Amino acid sequence: MEITHEIWKRHFPAENSGAHLFPEFEMRAKAVSGEVFRVAAAAEAREALIRLVDAVQARKAVVVESPLQEAAGITAALRSRGVTVYTEAAEIAAHADTADIGISGVEFGIAETGSVFQDGYDIATRLVTILPTLHVVFLSSTHIVPGITEAFDIISQSFDRGYVGFITGPSRTADIERVLTIGVHGPSRFAIIAVDEEPKGGDA
Amino acid sequence: METETRNLRKEISEKLKDQTLRDALGRFSEAYPIARAKAYENAGDIETLRGALRQMKIDTVKRIEEVADRFEAEATKRGAKVFRAKTGNDVKEYLVNLCKEKGVRRIVKSKSMASEEIDLSKNLETAGIYTTETDLGEWIVALAGQKPSHMVMPAIHLSRFQVAEYFSKELRTDIPPDIAFMVQAARKELREKFLQADMGISGANFGIAENGAIGLVTNEGNARMVTTLPRIHVVIIGYEKLIPAIKDAAAILKVLPRSATAQLMTSYMTMIAGPTPAMVKRDGKWVEEEREMHIILLDNGRLRAAHDDKFKEIYQCVRCAACLNVCPVYTLIGGHVYGHIYAGGIGAILTAFLHGMREFEQFQELCIGCRRCTTVCPGKIDIPGLIEELRIRNVKEKGLPFLLKQTFENVVSNRKLFHGLLRLAAIGQKPFQSGRLIRHLPLFLAGMAKDRSLPAIADTPLRDRIGKITKKIDKPVKRVVFFSGCTIDFVFPETGESVFKVLQELNMEVLFPEGQSCCGKPVIALGDVETTKKIARENIRALMEMNPDGIIAACPTCTESLQHYAELLKDDPEWGPKAETMAKKVREFCSFVAEEYGKRGRLTKTGGGPKVIYHDSCHMKRVLMIDKEPRQLLEAAGCELIEMKDADKCCGMSGIFGVKYAELSMPILERKIGNIRDTGAEIAACACSGCMVQIQGGLDKQLPGVQMKHVADILAENLKD
Repeated sequence: MEITHEIWKRHFPAENSGAHLFPEFEMRAKAVSGEVFRVAAAAEAREALIRLVDAVQARKAVVVESPLQEAAGITAALRSRGVTVYTEAAEIAAHADTADIGISGVEFGIAETGSVFQDGYDIATRLVTILPTLHVVFLSSTHIVPGITEAFDIISQSFDRGYVGFITGPSRTADIERVLTIGVHGPSRFAIIAVDEEPKGGDA
Repeated sequence: METETRNLRKEISEKLKDQTLRDALGRFSEAYPIARAKAYENAGDIETLRGALRQMKIDTVKRIEEVADRFEAEATKRGAKVFRAKTGNDVKEYLVNLCKEKGVRRIVKSKSMASEEIDLSKNLETAGIYTTETDLGEWIVALAGQKPSHMVMPAIHLSRFQVAEYFSKELRTDIPPDIAFMVQAARKELREKFLQADMGISGANFGIAENGAIGLVTNEGNARMVTTLPRIHVVIIGYEKLIPAIKDAAAILKVLPRSATAQLMTSYMTMIAGPTPAMVKRDGKWVEEEREMHIILLDNGRLRAAHDDKFKEIYQCVRCAACLNVCPVYTLIGGHVYGHIYAGGIGAILTAFLHGMREFEQFQELCIGCRRCTTVCPGKIDIPGLIEELRIRNVKEKGLPFLLKQTFENVVSNRKLFHGLLRLAAIGQKPFQSGRLIRHLPLFLAGMAKDRSLPAIADTPLRDRIGKITKKIDKPVKRVVFFSGCTIDFVFPETGESVFKVLQELNMEVLFPEGQSCCGKPVIALGDVETTKKIARENIRALMEMNPDGIIAACPTCTESLQHYAELLKDDPEWGPKAETMAKKVREFCSFVAEEYGKRGRLTKTGGGPKVIYHDSCHMKRVLMIDKEPRQLLEAAGCELIEMKDADKCCGMSGIFGVKYAELSMPILERKIGNIRDTGAEIAACACSGCMVQIQGGLDKQLPGVQMKHVADILAENLKD
């Protein structure tokens, strides 16, 4: 079975996409309380992540690998920082609920809404994205489409079965007196580390 | 479903006294239109988006069975089990059996209106299965033992203090009324439920036939939990949520978050096609297994609607609740008075189909037909039109209440008797009258004149003044007939005189056929088609007899009613064609005069006159689509035009509603008067006699320095005799 994660890039438009859309994407993502860190290369991505880890004094992380994370050596960097890292599905299932941080890769961003698109067919990915209070995603800053319509041009060609979706900022509610409150069931913080440099090794 | 007979007036009265509700909805109705407009700023042309959604849904409902078959086949192919439920009972039976078979004891639910529609949780509880609502608002409402009062914000009617009480009781500890703290308390409590649940039940915002996927649009993340953590996922989805292709979801997602919560996108938008892996604990170890996915496709009246020529339109609803957010009645009293779980105008229609007409007829009067909802509905549903159609069907089926039926059939449709009674009323009202207004009414009627004076019936109706006001025009450019309608004829005859003056000054011959009567609007509004047809035939005869070049009405409702005769009588071989011919001649006064002034180069701003605001009557703006012309005329007459806030928001009159539900009509009027006060205008102008009754009455009691005038009056005053 082909899943979206493996084939979406084939349908990613060469034109009408790219890093020139990043400023709008960043503005929209920040407008919904997303944190955006744009970096030039893998090494800086690692530093950006470590700053986040230090800021929340993370002791425990659940991680699903992605090419950008591998290129930046994220897992090793976390471990050297003294953070306990879980990467296997069974470990993630046992620890995601109590982890301080969840880390995963996303496919592309949408400038119109500040959303990221992620294939969550893999159960570990979903646990990592929803259970910890801080969720950090890695995104290639060239993988940005203008809007919802363009996103669906890709999705309609690459989503046959499974579990896909947009994530747009942290979990939120306004159910009590319409007061916006961040972090009800899902993460209370959502950070995007966007890397300009393409990871080596071609397709994700 | 059992239906009790309700005392709607009492329920309304209680809601109006609920200050928490009033404050919350008041603030919300102020904030919503601004937030919504901002959310659409980067969306492209909003009318194009609405048109695209509407068309996609129309194309879908035409072949709903085919789309449903494909959806079922594709979902099944990917490993989901699809069950078609005809009724709510089918759903409950299926679920209870499934839970028994799979040993399910604990269920977590994310938002599903369909499950509330069939009262699912209660039924599962009875079967010994413990169900938890996990959407914060739904959980609060469940703890309170209430029903949601809004489709998107279920607990909007509750304050933080009330929520703190429910939380303290449920969590058996003292919870302070601090919103952030309470949200964290809910997170902690519900997290346990997610982790322990054997089954997750979700609704769906859409279902895609192309690949059998369902789509979920949420903010809290609970739907992701419900579809990720438990080993069984059950989706309850109504037929109206089905769409043919994956790409069609974009049409919904462009508008749903923007219209519902003024967000460009919700925090989570998730699409699930077929079962996905789950982590299950076996003998103390976490192992990956394929999740079970069940999709329950719910009919419960929906397919009947799909095959109904008029009501297939409800398939265009995406449950954004924008229609509630702008409804002058909903934003005063909230959702509970609408009976079941679907509130507001669209709720009234859904309830009629899903719960039956008996439910509908108890609160159908709450739609005042102002059509504000039609300007925001992303699926462009004619909500007031559908409600009127339901009323018509209800009357066909059950007839009108006896007294009303007698009144319509014997009085309103008998012009001489009707007008005779109005003349009698002019005498009968004397003891209460003060000048041209009734400021007090005895005892039980007092509420009607508490914050508003009621207009007195004039001593001499317009029809008795015609001889005096008709001028002989030598070579008239046009020969027009004036249709005054009851209100101008019997309450505001001076406005009728103004119309004569303005038209005659344009060198037109103006005629007033004696045989004209009520336009029929109050009758059709209550669903009595047969009496309306009788009235229509009489009016056509009276108005067309004189073979006029045009038929002018100075009230948008009358104009609309006269034009509508063509549709009303379309199956009548004799009167249908006549109605059709007449409809083409009917013109609304302001737009007609503006056109004539324009031709003569007189539609230009002059200045030097008083400060005036213009109130857009609902039907003038949203049925006849006339809003510029009256303003141009006022400026041409020298007025200094000031735009008031919410100029096009209903004044609360809406025909009989404003009198019958005076208590509800008054707060709507108060806002209107407040907005007029804020402008510092000397004159309030409008072009609808119904609004004049209401606003003049409000001004007299609350803002006596400001005069109410019809645009025709202002134009006439500006003319030299």
